[in-house]
Amino acid sequence: MLLIDKLSYQSKLRYVNASEKLVYALLTLVLCVLSRSVKVAVLVFAVNGVLTVGKGGIPLFRYIKLFMIPLAFLAAGTAAVMINVSRTPMDAFALPAGEWYITGSNEGIRRGLRLCVTALSAVSSLYFLSLNTVMTDILCSCRKLHFPPLLTELMLLIYRFIFVLFETASSITVSQQSRLGNRGFKTRIRSFGKLGSSLFILALKRSSTLYDAMESRCYDGSIRVLSREQPAKAGEIAVIALYGAVLVLVWLLCG
Amino acid sequence: MPKKKKILLRAYIVFAAMFAVAPASNAMHIMEGYLPAGYCVAWGVICLPFLIAGFISLRNKVKENRRNLILIAMSGAFIFVISSLKIPSVTGSCSHMTGTGLGAILFGPASVSVLGIIVLVFQAVLLAHGGLTTLGANTFSMAIAGPLVSFGIYKLCCHTKVNRKAAIFLAAFLGDIFTYCVTSIQLALAYPSEAGGVAASAVKFLGVFAPTQLPLAVIEGILTVVIMIGLETYAKPELKSIGFLRDTPGKQPPCLHERIFAGQRTANDSCRELSEVSRDRIGEAKHPYPIDRKEA
Repeated sequence: MLLIDKLSYQSKLRYVNASEKLVYALLTLVLCVLSRSVKVAVLVFAVNGVLTVGKGGIPLFRYIKLFMIPLAFLAAGTAAVMINVSRTPMDAFALPAGEWYITGSNEGIRRGLRLCVTALSAVSSLYFLSLNTVMTDILCSCRKLHFPPLLTELMLLIYRFIFVLFETASSITVSQQSRLGNRGFKTRIRSFGKLGSSLFILALKRSSTLYDAMESRCYDGSIRVLSREQPAKAGEIAVIALYGAVLVLVWLLCG
Repeated sequence: MPKKKKILLRAYIVFAAMFAVAPASNAMHIMEGYLPAGYCVAWGVICLPFLIAGFISLRNKVKENRRNLILIAMSGAFIFVISSLKIPSVTGSCSHMTGTGLGAILFGPASVSVLGIIVLVFQAVLLAHGGLTTLGANTFSMAIAGPLVSFGIYKLCCHTKVNRKAAIFLAAFLGDIFTYCVTSIQLALAYPSEAGGVAASAVKFLGVFAPTQLPLAVIEGILTVVIMIGLETYAKPELKSIGFLRDTPGKQPPCLHERIFAGQRTANDSCRELSEVSRDRIGEAKHPYPIDRKEA
């Protein structure tokens, strides 16, 4: 159902300390966005690729396919950055359309390309985190970083319930399809509406029974689970710090 | 026409054709790393007061009755699931609901702001829609601005006795449109056009995303109506028994979240009756899905 979630359980880097991975991903993300330099972006993209596919063992095919998800937005957004409509033609290209020109400047194209590279390498950092870290581990390290307990509790519950509801939704969808519920556009709309409303009713009902079950097991507002401790290794921290320093150097020296 | 221009023209045609068949038209999540750092922080700061207000209101609800925590979490999961299911679309492309309108009508804008940011984090990490650096901007457009407009319009229509279906449709539709406009303006502020500044750039972004977002908004409006009608049909006896949904003509029923979080009655009572209702419905063979045969 959720491909990224499934892959994260298979990753070979799964049992590396979660806070380390979180810090690494956020560090590269921030440096990418802050520097906006092509060199930093390419370096980050390459290292993330090697780590995720080489070290983490995520199939390359899946990894490439995942980059297709944000592509539609990237193409549309970058086109809007690069292309201008104006009365005066600009230096890079100009296509006359009546009195106006569909035009763009060299500076604009350069800006658009830089934006593409930065965004893609930022996505690769996000993928490093989400493909190699299980969500519950992320939430655990959020708790250690002193997020409001209500918020982490809510996130843990929501994460669990997502799968419960997904299962319900998919079985409803299967039964709808087996009864030709997706025959035409109108039936599809009606089916989806019924799916939504019964899903909501079921969710309400299930939340109530769940609470009863949890309270009978002494639930007092927080779920405490034993997490397997993977202590952060000094060597790994040093490598991350060094890598961060290298990125900053590349940013400052080569721009 | 010189040769270079011809090549460019061809490239444009290919590019345009690519857009015509662009497979994924997601809700307007700004992708990871697309906004400059300053804008990421600024939008995050703008979101803060709304989030704090939402957080306090959630905390009060949980203090009132701890059972509400589970209910709220279930609502959040519901928004996530409904927004990640493929919805029917005219062109056959794969698109998703935003769920902002539905969430705002069901749970109110305060809860949706906090639920929205959690759902957006999950969407970024689990579905790669949106991102962590653009979380602030996305939260503002999809979890704050859109729901506020939806909720306002729904309330307004409730008071002015507009047809219920029309009210729900307008709330969801305009909420979606507003989200799309806000996102375009966010992008335009970050990337003003070289010819014409922010305004021209906003028009460009609006134009680029219009072909996917406008049909999506219409479909989302229709779906929200169908879902709400379904809810009111199947959960009506229960709502009546609480005493909120009356048959007296001219009196509009209050929004569902008020009934759910009404306070005196715990969610458990409502849900127990709800399950009885659905059981009855199965007896009448009216409900399309065997809701709880196993438990029953």
